[in-house]
Amino acid sequence: MNLSRLSLTIFIALAIGGALSLLISSSTVLSLFTQAIIYALFASGVGVLLRQNGMVSFGHALYFGGTGYGIGILLQMQVLSAEWTILVVLLGACLVAFLIGLVVVRVPGIAFGMLTLAIGQMAFLSVSRARGATGGADGMNIEWPSTLFGVSQSVLFKPAAMFLLSWCVLIVVLALLSLLLRTRFGAVTEAVRDNEERARFIGISTLVPRAAIYALSALVTGMAGVLSALNTGFVSPESLHWSLSGMALMMVVVGGSKALWGPAAGAVVYFLFKDVLGELATHWMSIFGIVLIAVIVFFPTGVAGGIQRLMRTRTAPSAGQPRTH
Amino acid sequence: MTNHNANPSYVLQAEDVAIHYGGVKALDGVSLTLAKGQIRGLIGPNGAGKSTVIDAITGRRRLTRGQVRLQGEDVTAMGVVERRARGLSRSFQRTSIFAGMTVRRQVELASHKMGVTDSEGDADMVLRELDLHRLGDSVAEDLGYGEQRRLDLALALVGRPSVLLLDEPMAGLSVKESLDLAQHLKALTSRWEVSVLLVEHDMDVVFGISDAVTVFELGRVIASGAPAAVRADDRVRVAYLGSAA
Repeated sequence: MNLSRLSLTIFIALAIGGALSLLISSSTVLSLFTQAIIYALFASGVGVLLRQNGMVSFGHALYFGGTGYGIGILLQMQVLSAEWTILVVLLGACLVAFLIGLVVVRVPGIAFGMLTLAIGQMAFLSVSRARGATGGADGMNIEWPSTLFGVSQSVLFKPAAMFLLSWCVLIVVLALLSLLLRTRFGAVTEAVRDNEERARFIGISTLVPRAAIYALSALVTGMAGVLSALNTGFVSPESLHWSLSGMALMMVVVGGSKALWGPAAGAVVYFLFKDVLGELATHWMSIFGIVLIAVIVFFPTGVAGGIQRLMRTRTAPSAGQPRTH
Repeated sequence: MTNHNANPSYVLQAEDVAIHYGGVKALDGVSLTLAKGQIRGLIGPNGAGKSTVIDAITGRRRLTRGQVRLQGEDVTAMGVVERRARGLSRSFQRTSIFAGMTVRRQVELASHKMGVTDSEGDADMVLRELDLHRLGDSVAEDLGYGEQRRLDLALALVGRPSVLLLDEPMAGLSVKESLDLAQHLKALTSRWEVSVLLVEHDMDVVFGISDAVTVFELGRVIASGAPAAVRADDRVRVAYLGSAA
């Protein structure tokens, strides 16, 4: 996608968000959409890691719940304004992830997944037991101030405003990721992902780029955590649990990780099943499980991969023509 | 580290290089040199240690003893990335490319990492030299095998390395493709004054383009010299070429 097409896509996407926030009058529907978008952002973080590093994390909930707790604790301590708290917590999550990344990305394959799982569960257990600071298993309320970035709570926390904010953050993050990954940094991470040994033999130090992608994916997931903290005003140990990381991973698998928007599409499919099918069937997860198996077997590149393939087939002048980027 | 054996007339010097795995001596006291623009062929039976020499020189494997010098500088303690930055480049026995990237993107990246200011221009030139310029926008995994082999070479050639180590670059190519590529390589490295260490099983290629040939057996050098002299060496005939050679 060239730059002008990307700009047009961003503009259209933002306009759609604006229109939806005006057209949908039901608070319940808007809240469900907001939740889906927040999880779409979470899944996008997990997806970036898979797309650029080829690594599967089972512990990204650490950065989702971690940012929520970070904000909750700092606001409780009243050391910084809420705006600075958000910034500090996001940068902190990014830095912590980079340092963790410097260690864990050295480990290949399933062992990496297990390490992320172990670190995530360690955080889950610590937060569950640190009752004094975190409220333990009961979780903690987040005391947002009456105005945030100059916008009063009564406006910001309206379902339509939260939906629009989450939508805009998702679109802007995906656009920025798309721009960033077109740069030399993106090419370096692709090279390391495809063939680490060859990458070293063309002069690339492979550790830092992989740790940087890990940190970037944590930052995106952390932003989802901040939005969730804004949306619910509450954070609990469940937001750090591995099952949440697993859910994000399912969204990535269903949506596909080759396109940046794939995991977000997977989140939409997941919430469609959860909210539409959940009304009709108690065990909707088992039906979603069947869909997951079908996608893995028949569409290994996910919903996004399937759509891209369809579009290529329709636009390619002849079969067998080499793909280009 | 200062070494009195450093000879500035050699672009590459490997001296008494040994790699031992427990009791197994993959390399045992190998010494070889490359002068500027020279092509040295390395031959020997499978398991003789030819690819291990390349791994040792490029820093892919740690030496049990010995030294490697590049343009007189001791690079023995340096890693792969540092040696590459000093002009030591290689291709691989099994095609080693970036499958998911387009041809131009990966060659341009390799050129940039070599510190070339006009990396786009350099990548373009190398792609033209290897007749890959029309495939610049193709994703590497969609290329044919011969094209992928040339892409592997292109990644090694960007930034005009001073020393190029080629590990069976003709593997899997037809006889005609091999000879064409060999002649092309000979002309290109001569023009660019690149010194080449060539591991290859195709004897026509090795004896056709090499200025010197070194023969390996069981991790040791058993003969080294001009192609004609090596071909006539009795030990080489017995060990590798066969008595009828």
